Formats: sequence, structure tokens, C-alpha cells
Amino acid sequence: MKKCNYENMIDDYLFDRLDDKQKEIFEEHYFNCPLCYERLEERSEMIAVIKTQGSEIFRDVYAPARTRRTLLEPVLAFLTPRQWAVAAVSAALILVVAIGIIPNLKTGSPEFFINDDLVRGSSITLISPVIDNLNQVPSEFRWQALGENTEYKLFIYHEEDLIWSTTTTDNSVTLSEDIKDLMAPGKKYSWQVKAFSPEGTLIAVSSRVQFNFVISQ
Amino acid sequence: MEKRKKDIELDEIVAKYRPVVSFRVKKSIGVQTPDWEDVVNEIMINVVEKLKKGEFRGDSSIGTFIYTITSRRIIDFIRKKSKVLKHAPEPNPYLSPQEHVENTERARWIADSIKKLKPKYKEVLYLYYYQELSREEVAKKLKISPRRVSERVNYAQKLLRKVMKE
Repeated sequence: MKKCNYENMIDDYLFDRLDDKQKEIFEEHYFNCPLCYERLEERSEMIAVIKTQGSEIFRDVYAPARTRRTLLEPVLAFLTPRQWAVAAVSAALILVVAIGIIPNLKTGSPEFFINDDLVRGSSITLISPVIDNLNQVPSEFRWQALGENTEYKLFIYHEEDLIWSTTTTDNSVTLSEDIKDLMAPGKKYSWQVKAFSPEGTLIAVSSRVQFNFVISQ
Repeated sequence: MEKRKKDIELDEIVAKYRPVVSFRVKKSIGVQTPDWEDVVNEIMINVVEKLKKGEFRGDSSIGTFIYTITSRRIIDFIRKKSKVLKHAPEPNPYLSPQEHVENTERARWIADSIKKLKPKYKEVLYLYYYQELSREEVAKKLKISPRRVSERVNYAQKLLRKVMKE
């Protein structure tokens, strides 16, 4: 199959990750290269389908069991059985200490936690909601602004699935009723914000913060 | 006779480049902007006029010639719009230049074909396009090389190509 060197720019172009100069070069190229234009159109259509129907398409892909298996294998191979025994004893010790401490910490605090495996560059501090067990669907999401001219993209996930995202230049988003309807009480949700410069470059990513809510009686 | 041949050539150029120009326009100003179709029409009329007047002298390719006209018109459009709105139209992190993808039979068909792909391809599509992770992040997560990520994406695309062409 014929290949063109510019083909690897297609995704970055569609996701606005090229700088202005590269973007111009690629655009001029696809006006001249029917093969790249055809690939670009195909890719764009595939991404559009994935973006609009992803939660349905990938329902089975990210079942938690799967991730656990793939993560566990290399970890097991990492240590010899003898080392594992040492590790197990240390872990047990830590557990005993932790069990002693945790009850003192539990002053009825809500059960949220921060998962920051995706932080790159500087980060964004999320303001609300960061407490769990809200008594209604949170209607406003707020984070610390990063200065002028920054664009933010807010993502809301149900477990691993993206259920909604939006773009704003503000440092908060108020959800409309139909977006709130996407969420149900008692389920686990999380949210995250990414910041982009005016040129569209990703400059900061927040932690992913979990939340859930119950319906108040 | 000469004139008729020229007209046929013009028709061919318009037929060939109209989709390309449309794509570029939709990508820049968004399909939500209802004016995108007018902008495309204006560009195509402009192209035909310039070609008729002999303004294309062949010092660049015809593609570049049309690209330049398209880019100028888009810059103009955004400039006018930003005067009215104070802010330029927001560049969406991902804005599809494809319209009406949600409910067409074709979109459902493509979605079904993605669903039927092997898990190792779906996984990559999920992280790379749906979660918008970078190629390197996907590679790290799946413990494969970034090159392999691209290979899997391209292979998935190749399988889908058959479906899309129909």
C-alpha cells in the first residue's frame, strides 16, 4: 500500500495538536495529495463515530478485571518468590500500623480520592465538587484559573467512560438539566480539567477527582 | 471548441476540490456555524473566477493555489466574526468536520464494525481517540511501543476502510 510521510500528521491535525506552521504545511499538503485527503476524511469519520458513540462501542473494553490482569503480570515477574515473602511481611507490618492509625483519621470525612496518574506539565487545582456524597447532582464545576486567555476542557466520567465534555474560557461550568440527567445517584463519577493555550497546546492537566451523590430525602 | 474544453476542465477542478475546501472550512469554523456552506460557495466561485481570468499561472500547483484562496477567506471570516463576538470562534480540542454522524445508518454501521474489532485494536482506539491520550501515554499504559500504537490504529483503520467504502 502506498504511504505518504505526511500521514502521521493526520491525528495531530484533527486534534489540533499541530503548531500554526505545521498546520499550514499539512493543510497545503492535503490540498495537493489526494491520498492524504482520503485518509484524513476516513480518519475524521472514524473519530467522529468514536467520539459520539464511544460509551456504547467500548462498553466491554475497560472492564476493571482486564486492567488488573495486564497490570499484575509484569509486577509478579518483577520479584523472586523469596523477595515476595519479604515484601509480604513488610506489607503486613505496614497494614497493622495503618489499621491502628486509620480509625483516628476517620472523622466522618467523605470518601473521595485523587488519582493523579495523568498529570503532565503544571497542574490545575480543582475547587468543587471535591467532596463526596453530595445530596444532589452537582450543578457547578469550578477550578482555579490559570491566567488570561486559557481555554479549559472539562471531562466528566462514569467509571472509565467519558460521559460528557465541554470547552470554556471561564474557570467554571454550570451543567444544564439534560447533562445532569446523564448522572444517577449512587454511581461513581469523576471529573478532570485540561487547560489549553490560545494556540491549542495542552498546558496543564488536573487530577481526576471522584464524586457521587445521593438523593436527599 | 477551445472554450468548451476549458469549461470541462473547470468543472473537474470544482468537483475535485469542493470536498477538500469544505473539509478545511468546516475544520476551521465549525459545522455548528451555519455559514460554512456559504463560505465554501464563495471560495469556489472565487476560484472559478480567478481561473477564468487566467490568474493561475502555474508557478505553484493548482492545489496550493486553491489552498491559498481558501485560507485567506477563512482568515477574513474569523476576523469579521471576532469583531462581532469579541472572541474568535473557539478552537475546539476536537471538532469533527463530519456532520450528522450520530444517527445515520452509516455511522451505526461503522460503530458496529469497531465493536467487532479484536480487543487489542479496540483498546488502542479507546485510549487514543476516545480518551484523547497521547501516543506515548497509550504506549505506556498498554506496555507496547509508541510505534506499535500507530500500527494498531492504522490496521484498525484499514479494516474499517472496507466498511466505509461501501
